[in-house]
Amino acid sequence: MSAKNTAKNTAKTTDEHLISGEKKASVAGSSVLEEPAAAWLDRLLSRRLVFVMGKGGVGKTTISIALASAAERMNKKVLLAEIGDTDSIGRLYGDKALTEVPRRLTQLIWGARVDPKAELEAYVRSHVTPGFIAGKIVRSRLFEYLFDATPGLKEVMSLGRLWRWEKEENSLARATYDLIIVDAPATGHAMSLLRLPDLLINMIRVGPVSNQIRGLQRLLKNRQKTSLVLVSLPEELPVNEAIEFYSMAENTLDMPVAATFINCVYPVVFSRINLQQIESIESSDPAFPLSALSRLIASARILTRRQSDQQKHIKEIYAKSTGHVQEIPFCFTNDLTINQIRELSSFN
Amino acid sequence: MLNCINEPDGPEIIVCCGSGGVGKTTISAAIGLHGALSGKKTIVLTIDPAKRLADSLGLKRFDSDAQRVPVENLVAGDDSPIPDAGLYAMMLDAKHTFDQLISRYAPSELQKKIFKNRYYQHLSNNMAGSHEYMAMEKLYEIFNQNQYDLIVLDTPPSRRALDFLEAPQRMLNILGHNFFMRMFKPYLKAGRWGVRFLNIFASPVLKGVSKVLGKQALDDFAGFMQLWDDMMFEGFSRRATAVKELLAGNKTLFLAVSTPQRLPMDEAIFLSEKLLINEMPFGGFIINRVNFSDPNLETQGVNSDKVFAGTRIDPELRQKLISVHNNILKMAENDARSVKRLMDKTGSEKNVLQIPFADSEIVGLDDLYRLSRFF
Repeated sequence: MSAKNTAKNTAKTTDEHLISGEKKASVAGSSVLEEPAAAWLDRLLSRRLVFVMGKGGVGKTTISIALASAAERMNKKVLLAEIGDTDSIGRLYGDKALTEVPRRLTQLIWGARVDPKAELEAYVRSHVTPGFIAGKIVRSRLFEYLFDATPGLKEVMSLGRLWRWEKEENSLARATYDLIIVDAPATGHAMSLLRLPDLLINMIRVGPVSNQIRGLQRLLKNRQKTSLVLVSLPEELPVNEAIEFYSMAENTLDMPVAATFINCVYPVVFSRINLQQIESIESSDPAFPLSALSRLIASARILTRRQSDQQKHIKEIYAKSTGHVQEIPFCFTNDLTINQIRELSSFN
Repeated sequence: MLNCINEPDGPEIIVCCGSGGVGKTTISAAIGLHGALSGKKTIVLTIDPAKRLADSLGLKRFDSDAQRVPVENLVAGDDSPIPDAGLYAMMLDAKHTFDQLISRYAPSELQKKIFKNRYYQHLSNNMAGSHEYMAMEKLYEIFNQNQYDLIVLDTPPSRRALDFLEAPQRMLNILGHNFFMRMFKPYLKAGRWGVRFLNIFASPVLKGVSKVLGKQALDDFAGFMQLWDDMMFEGFSRRATAVKELLAGNKTLFLAVSTPQRLPMDEAIFLSEKLLINEMPFGGFIINRVNFSDPNLETQGVNSDKVFAGTRIDPELRQKLISVHNNILKMAENDARSVKRLMDKTGSEKNVLQIPFADSEIVGLDDLYRLSRFF
């Protein structure tokens, strides 16, 4: 019963967003804005929290920013939250490192870094009285050590931060952010992050922390509010890890992957007929392999070979994935700019 | 760049560092093969090889014994087997290594207690640094067994390459400082194992901490620290110091592995700077998967009329061929620029080794052999 109601409410919110998105589109008059978003994207961006997961180096930051741009086009206010100690998001938006205080990056996108240590300090100060004891704790070396050594402490502080951003409201009692996109750390760390509430609930049963953990767990497991997306590359190791992750997400976390982004996919350029034509040129051109044409064909061969290597891995993703699969074309560059990422964000 | 491997007084330990996804494991295996073929009995310590590569190395999951790699299956161009001094591979597994250490050093009545302790479980499996620490442990153990001429260490896939160097120390700081025990000991009530618990009310600071973390969490932690302190710490810290000396010594060579992409490149540069500052032996950069343009290829735009003169290729396919060709050239240009940036930043061309993008995935010994020819 209650699940049904929640679903209905979410559908309604989605509609509202769509309407406001259309309004904006007609004002702005841009062709990108007028295109209705795909249903999967619409659904994904109507969540409150989206975790972008994946192995190191697969392009989590790229996809996080692309999703934020797509949400911005739907007139949503987005917070891009980075966990971990690289400055990828800040670098792309003009080399300014993000801090734990959200900073405006574009019209509707804010960016922030989750700093678990600053969180813990704030937490101690708000829960321990009198103040001088709190100050003493925060400054003590014991605190430093505990911070490093206590299992899950960093994770719980990071989650707590996300949770509070999720609950934050403006003066009109409306959520400050429509959507929080989390550029998560590499899979192993991200898994321990998301598993934490389940583990902690068994360890800490009473007290203020326990109540917060319960709230957090409810938010994470609510599929109308929180989604996991996975980024992968069409290569053996990332795909194997992706396949492992699908079952972990579904069985261990009870948070099935809502969408998979396969990054850096070589475009399919040549049709079957094209390839036959190319073959016949090779056999009929007397000057082959010395002609200029042969060089073009060599390039065509490189592309098709790499592409077919990728296709094997892509097929596996389609076979094993839960949820939508989106291929992101390779841009033939080593260093994507923010504008290139925006172009990718149409997800077509 | 890696000629030193062939020399009799060359490095005995090669550590391959770099961000995840750059092909560290493959490069490590190829370096190992190169070592074995240069007459050195070599072992490759690897973390998580792709399945087919693991198969060619004879590695099985959950098996952490050294495996001999069947190099005799490798056939050179002239169909004769290539002589080798023995290549071995071993898969590192943090949890397993940790458990092994406890089984070895802790009295049996304590082992169960340690294995059951939540902090131990966390520490051995998840804690940042545990994989790195264990890799170091294993490296030291194997080095001291003195069975191999060369050890190649593939480092864990950290988000930041440098984590590998810093994590063990960080972990020892947590586990090993006297300060910590001094802080806790006065509040530990005397008793036999397991009945010790923290008298938190004796300390306002601990009281505050327990308010935040919960008392049970503190108890568990103190319990583990006590076990650790009494049983294990001495040996661990002694070895950590020894490993550090070993790595900074002249028997070791660090290599930074990267691809031409921006992020791993920045990591590799950062790593090399850090190594130099710490006076660690840095051997150079290996840039993997570099797109080269064939020197015969025209690097400028293709003259369409000239190229297609006399052929019956339709305009659509012409267009496609040209655009694909330009993209392939563009990749090579990008990579060349990226490598040049590296050379400019580090002020050296000599210690940068470029490995071309392989035509096919590297899964077999033959592939590794081809790769090892670049060293």
